[in-house]
Amino acid sequence: MAEITFPLPDLGEGLIEATVLEWLVSPGDQVERNQPLVEVETTKSAVELPSPQAGKVVRIHGGPGDKINVGEPLIVFEVPDNTAGIVGTVPKEEAPKRRVRLSAVLDED
Amino acid sequence: MSNAILESGAAMADGTPRRGVEQLSMQQALNLALDEVLAANPKALVFGEDCGRLGGVFRVTDGLQAKYGTGRVFDTPLAESGILGMSVGLAMAGFHSIPEVQFDGFAYPAINQIVCQIARMNYRSRGTMPMPITLRVPSFGGIRAPEHHGESLEALFAHVPGLKVVSPSNPHEAYHLLKYAAERPDPVVFMEPKSRYWQKGEVDFDSADPAGSPAGGSPAGAKVMRAGRHLTLVAWGAMVARCLQVAELAAEDGIDIEVLDLRWLKPIDEAALAASVRKTRRAVVVHEAPLTSGLGAEVAQLITQACFDTLKAPVERVTGFDVPYPSGDLEDEYIPNIDRILFGIQRVLEYKRG
Amino acid sequence: MDTLPSPFSGNDAGQLSGPRSEPLTAGQLRELFSLMVAVRHLDSSAIAWQRQGIIPGYAPELGQEAAQVGSGYAVDTTRDFVFPTYREMGVARAMGVDMVAYMSTHKATWHGGLYDPLQSRLAPIQAVVGGSVLHAVGWAHGQTLDQKDGVAMTYFGDGASSQGDIHEAMNFAAVMKAPVVFFVQNNGWAISVPTERQVAGGSVAARAAGYGMPALRIDGNDVVAVVEATRRAFAHARAGNGPVLIEAMTYRRGPHSTSDDPGRYRSLNEERDDAGEDPLERFRRRLLADGVADEAFFAEALAAAKAEEEHIRAGIQALGSRPGSEMFDLVFQETTLALQAQAANWREESEHV
Ligand SMILES: Cc1ncc(C[n+]2csc(CCOP(=O)(O)OP(=O)(O)O)c2C)c(N)n1
Ligand SMILES: [Mg+2]
Repeated sequence: MAEITFPLPDLGEGLIEATVLEWLVSPGDQVERNQPLVEVETTKSAVELPSPQAGKVVRIHGGPGDKINVGEPLIVFEVPDNTAGIVGTVPKEEAPKRRVRLSAVLDED
Repeated sequence: MSNAILESGAAMADGTPRRGVEQLSMQQALNLALDEVLAANPKALVFGEDCGRLGGVFRVTDGLQAKYGTGRVFDTPLAESGILGMSVGLAMAGFHSIPEVQFDGFAYPAINQIVCQIARMNYRSRGTMPMPITLRVPSFGGIRAPEHHGESLEALFAHVPGLKVVSPSNPHEAYHLLKYAAERPDPVVFMEPKSRYWQKGEVDFDSADPAGSPAGGSPAGAKVMRAGRHLTLVAWGAMVARCLQVAELAAEDGIDIEVLDLRWLKPIDEAALAASVRKTRRAVVVHEAPLTSGLGAEVAQLITQACFDTLKAPVERVTGFDVPYPSGDLEDEYIPNIDRILFGIQRVLEYKRG
Repeated sequence: MDTLPSPFSGNDAGQLSGPRSEPLTAGQLRELFSLMVAVRHLDSSAIAWQRQGIIPGYAPELGQEAAQVGSGYAVDTTRDFVFPTYREMGVARAMGVDMVAYMSTHKATWHGGLYDPLQSRLAPIQAVVGGSVLHAVGWAHGQTLDQKDGVAMTYFGDGASSQGDIHEAMNFAAVMKAPVVFFVQNNGWAISVPTERQVAGGSVAARAAGYGMPALRIDGNDVVAVVEATRRAFAHARAGNGPVLIEAMTYRRGPHSTSDDPGRYRSLNEERDDAGEDPLERFRRRLLADGVADEAFFAEALAAAKAEEEHIRAGIQALGSRPGSEMFDLVFQETTLALQAQAANWREESEHV
């Protein structure tokens, strides 16, 4: 598993920070792309930030009322090291299992 | 992941082949090979469905468009016959196309262009219009995918005069075989075992084969992946790894197995087959493709021809069945598993003449 | 994306003969809404099932509910026949297909799905892009030969419109005057390739002119427009006037499949700008404004959708693997000795019988 950190994006010209109003997800949640993550307030307005990607939330930064600067970590996702192709799954490496035993009298001629 | 691939390719900015040894997945090894081919040959092109911006559904072409531009690495409209047909004209215009068909089963819509055109233009044009086309096809099963994403087409391709066919079994092979295939003046179908894209392995950039191997350091022929005395397992693609596991299990029972990775499915390295089986005197061929008219029959015949006098038993085949590749739930029932391969070995070991 | 407001403003729409169908009743409008909610809820649940390991993969149809439910709703399952792709869950649901049997394909139980295609009037799920469009022409021509009045409807995407088979199908159908409705869902994307780099000229509907076939380019996010256009196309084809093409302009709001990462080829801003208004929300507001439905009805529809999803999930979870012997038994109507021998060998050497 790898971790991907998303910083607070620039929410409009010139903004340098935003205040967390409410987190809509918690660590452990599986979120989908575009799912609302957090409500933040800028000097202009309150906005809901959608998730740029699907993944499992590992950490969130800042509680209600905390200020976060643009570019600072906002949320950390856990993503599998290997992503499957467009369809199907990544096969698991399993220890080989057997039922059949071999028996042979080998004449080493 | 995309960064990881780009990083390992980063030293390649000037196109110098890499040196030394690295742990890479097959995806990464193939990506690196394509990177080097594009750097070395300004006439090389990479294209197909989702090969550009997305970097391919298995990320094999990841980062290449950013590096070489949309002229040399590009997305095509969704039409396999179009992709392969266009490769013919590009070859006539002096380009080396390295098209991708997204999945094995989608080579079928392109069969007309592959069989009727690519495979015979050199012949038709009396050698004046060679077809240096390297067709990459994610192949074989094992990933619980929808229909047409688990097919083994090697016998189909191998049967067509004018096509060469190769399949790597691990990241090292993938790197060297793709580079080699992409330098050939003839059409090569390059079958990538999709179930092995993610497993990492050592890639020795300096030499295709370990010193002293029977293939003599060239990626042109078959390769002994494990030496043994009692029986030769012949395989390619994803089945090589499985056969290596079987060989370890057989060793517990006192049976010493040689595993021969055929690599080239056309032309087949007859000398390597003969050399191995003359020594072991027993052979089992393993493939995922259906049994009937599969490549196992060709291999068995070549062995029989070369080793009839010394063979202890008829060559056995352990293969998929004559059924359409099944849905994920039944996949493990279809692909030759360890026990079925052991059964095949046991049949050969038990064989009594007369 | 330039969607056209009226369902009848596509090129050559004037050639479409046949009466306009009756306007939808309030009851039908509510039924359409309930279907769309059921489909939306099942679709988003299927993504969650994949994340939970219940199914290995899924191709969501988020954003295409109006196009799918609206067109599927227009089908007369007593005489018509439908050819889906891999993304037509909403069509299947609107046609009343058993959804456990339908979703089984995503559980990797059986490639084509486990529903009975003949009874459901829905051909097996098709994984080859453009694979079944010619089949629709053949089925429809069979209706002509048998002097029956069934119509074939075949689905395909903007990406599929690049395949040669699609063009062959349009030409065949037009030459033979086969009763086919070509239903294109132009959802803006074929995996990572946007329509503008897929469809030269930008319109699949425009192709129809070349084949002498009427076409309707409709707002595929307006379920009422979709139902009306599809009904009209069916009437045209049923009356013996030959094929019709409908290009429903919509948007694939989700990833191509559960393992796709759209962030690699489009931004959230682009998605927001291009997706337009959510077809479900838009229909909800319309029903409310027209006094056709109220909040109580919406709540009821959602509750029913949730109950339905639970039922389908339970069915999917309870679904075991098919017996391996089916691999052999279903290859032919008349099996072969070689196949029987392989089945015997499999039974002997396989652990799971
Ligand atoms: C013949 C063929 N080629 C490639 C694929 C892989 N593939 C599956 S879906 C898809 C994109 C299809 O796009 P579109 O027709 O627009 O339908 P959508 O997925 O948007 O519903 C591709 C390339 C396939 N299934 N069949
Ligand atoms: Mg599309």
